[in-house]
Amino acid sequence: MRRLPVYFLLDTSGSMYGEPIHALNNALSGMINTLRQDPQALDSLWISIITFDRDVNEVCPLTELAMFQLPEITCPQSGPTHTGKALELLYTKVQSDIKKSTENQKGDWKPLLFLFTDGKPSDIQLYNEIAPRVRNLNFGAIVACAAGNLADDSKLKVLTDDVVHLDNADSATLKQFFKWVSETIEQGNKSQGTGESVALPPPPSEITLVI
Amino acid sequence: MSYTKDYIEKLFTGNNITLNHKNKEVFEKFIIDEEIIQSVELISNQQKSIMENWRIRESINDIINNQVQVPNGTVGKAYDYKFDFIQLNWSNIIFSEFEGLDEMGLSYDKDEERIYGTPTANGDFKIKLKFRVKGENENSTLNEKAINLIINADPKSLWQNKESDKTDRFWKEDNVNVFDKLGTKNIVVSSKRGRSHANVGSFRDDDFAFHHFEKTGWSVIAVSDGAGSAKNSRKGSEISCNEVVNYFEVNFNDEVVNNFDQLILNHYNDSNSNSTVVEPPIEENNVTETITDAEVTTNDNADIVKETEVKESSQVQISKFIYNYLGGCAKHVYNKLEEFSNKNEFPIKELHSTLIFSLFKKYDFGYVVLSFGVGDCPIAVINKDLTELKLLNWLDVGEFGGGTRFITMPEIFTSDKFYTRFALKIIDDFSYLMLMTDGIYDAKFVVEANLEKLEKWKEFIEDLQGNNEDNAKVVFEESNTEIANQLSTWMDFWSPGNHDDRTLAIVF
Repeated sequence: MRRLPVYFLLDTSGSMYGEPIHALNNALSGMINTLRQDPQALDSLWISIITFDRDVNEVCPLTELAMFQLPEITCPQSGPTHTGKALELLYTKVQSDIKKSTENQKGDWKPLLFLFTDGKPSDIQLYNEIAPRVRNLNFGAIVACAAGNLADDSKLKVLTDDVVHLDNADSATLKQFFKWVSETIEQGNKSQGTGESVALPPPPSEITLVI
Repeated sequence: MSYTKDYIEKLFTGNNITLNHKNKEVFEKFIIDEEIIQSVELISNQQKSIMENWRIRESINDIINNQVQVPNGTVGKAYDYKFDFIQLNWSNIIFSEFEGLDEMGLSYDKDEERIYGTPTANGDFKIKLKFRVKGENENSTLNEKAINLIINADPKSLWQNKESDKTDRFWKEDNVNVFDKLGTKNIVVSSKRGRSHANVGSFRDDDFAFHHFEKTGWSVIAVSDGAGSAKNSRKGSEISCNEVVNYFEVNFNDEVVNNFDQLILNHYNDSNSNSTVVEPPIEENNVTETITDAEVTTNDNADIVKETEVKESSQVQISKFIYNYLGGCAKHVYNKLEEFSNKNEFPIKELHSTLIFSLFKKYDFGYVVLSFGVGDCPIAVINKDLTELKLLNWLDVGEFGGGTRFITMPEIFTSDKFYTRFALKIIDDFSYLMLMTDGIYDAKFVVEANLEKLEKWKEFIEDLQGNNEDNAKVVFEESNTEIANQLSTWMDFWSPGNHDDRTLAIVF
């Protein structure tokens, strides 16, 4: 069976403490519930969650949706945003997780990556070095989401052309965002020409596409 | 009683009483007083009991706060999970039961400490572990611990069947099943909209077409799979199949076919003197020209066509014929798709479709089967007694699922691999000539390597003949008027993760 691997990189730095992390947990849980109602997702979707603050944690290794149990995402009260370090871990995980097609093995669908952040990378040198490499990893789509006025859209452009901006990280906005994410995921398992990428569905009004 | 003495001394110290020579004698008597000894013993026992009680409560608290993950279940799928009480540090539990399991059709075996059964309801459940630990009274109230248990819905029950929009300009029938005569053979085809499309009310992207040309004796079958990611691919696959038939209708005229018949006959006679029929290889140096247009020119390259060697000459000419006419057909299809997309003012990639087609004709000595393919749909021919299989094309599959090539991509025509997209097979007779889209191949053959295995094809044929969990059976007999419906029913097989459109064309 073909798997659709989806990676979530979630910012859990100090600025997410309190209401935002609560909203993030709710939105994630809502998204998982929505996906559980989608028979296609139930058959093929595999999810991994990596959080980053000062430390980088693979809180959920790549797990099939049917077996997936969402952990409570927590964050420290303060501290830096190690986005670069997170991408570095992602890079190694993708290398080892993804199954490619061979004569005797069914390859995965191209993986999808969703990065959510409300700040700028603190490890900027590492970020600038690793982001282009992740970009070249043959993802079906990379969507970077910047929430709030402290997030740096232009830095995210190094990682992907598909950058979206949320005015804030409140419950309603995040819910909309992750609903859109689940719609994007549902696009991920369709046949494409070699080298083509997944087309993103039109985002709802809360989400601004950064051009 | 040294214990009594120790205890009283500690008690005195706590109360600031010092022992000295003046009270020593009284103290010695005091600690052997029976009443005092008993009191100390009583206190000691009470303390022990308090400590014991504390340990019990602490362990209960630990159990209740212990994070425990119970694997998710799925409605309709057997569930069996055994708690490892030792690993969980729960070995002091002497009695356990669950509340709330019957709600989802599960049971708990308290001797084996396992939850088992087949879930009947889906949702995020909170089940209650009720337990008693060692040391608790036999009739004490049971302790309670809430545990999350996720039961997924049965994916089968979640699929919806929404009608496609009949007013759409490129609408096509969701499911088509046909049975017909095809020259000396019969053909049964079923093309069905995939569950993933039915679930959202979108269209079938697959298509097919076939035709027998009475005048020349050739038959053609085309199958195409429109790309799921391309907006108008359902039209692309339809145009592709129809244009294959149209091309041969026009271009396979008497003169062309007579020439080819002669080539084949020469080739057969030449090789027949060597007892076995050898298919001329379609090699790159046999077919050096690049197809640039549907108008096909012959190549008179003297280096290639050597009049002196008749056998090689007929081989080369056959190769060139196939390359020119089948390649010409592919280019014709591309041109038609380009024309259509231009006319409708959208990019040709919106018509992205794979394309396979095969032609066959009966000669006195047997059948000649020709083919062309681009994309990930296989064509195979199997001999009469099911002992030989020939896969007629290789599949365009990328490193990642779903990545393939389409007839709408101009680069396939200029690729140095283009000549490998053709095949020729000469065979006494065949039992089945099959063309299918990846909706069938992914589910039934899984990986490319299996397409080369005769065994897998035999299993596939047995599956078609009823060896499957639904007992869906297709009876391959010319007189079977129900065959199209039978194939249609068979096509509904369940295969997790494989919900694409399915098209299967079988010539028999």
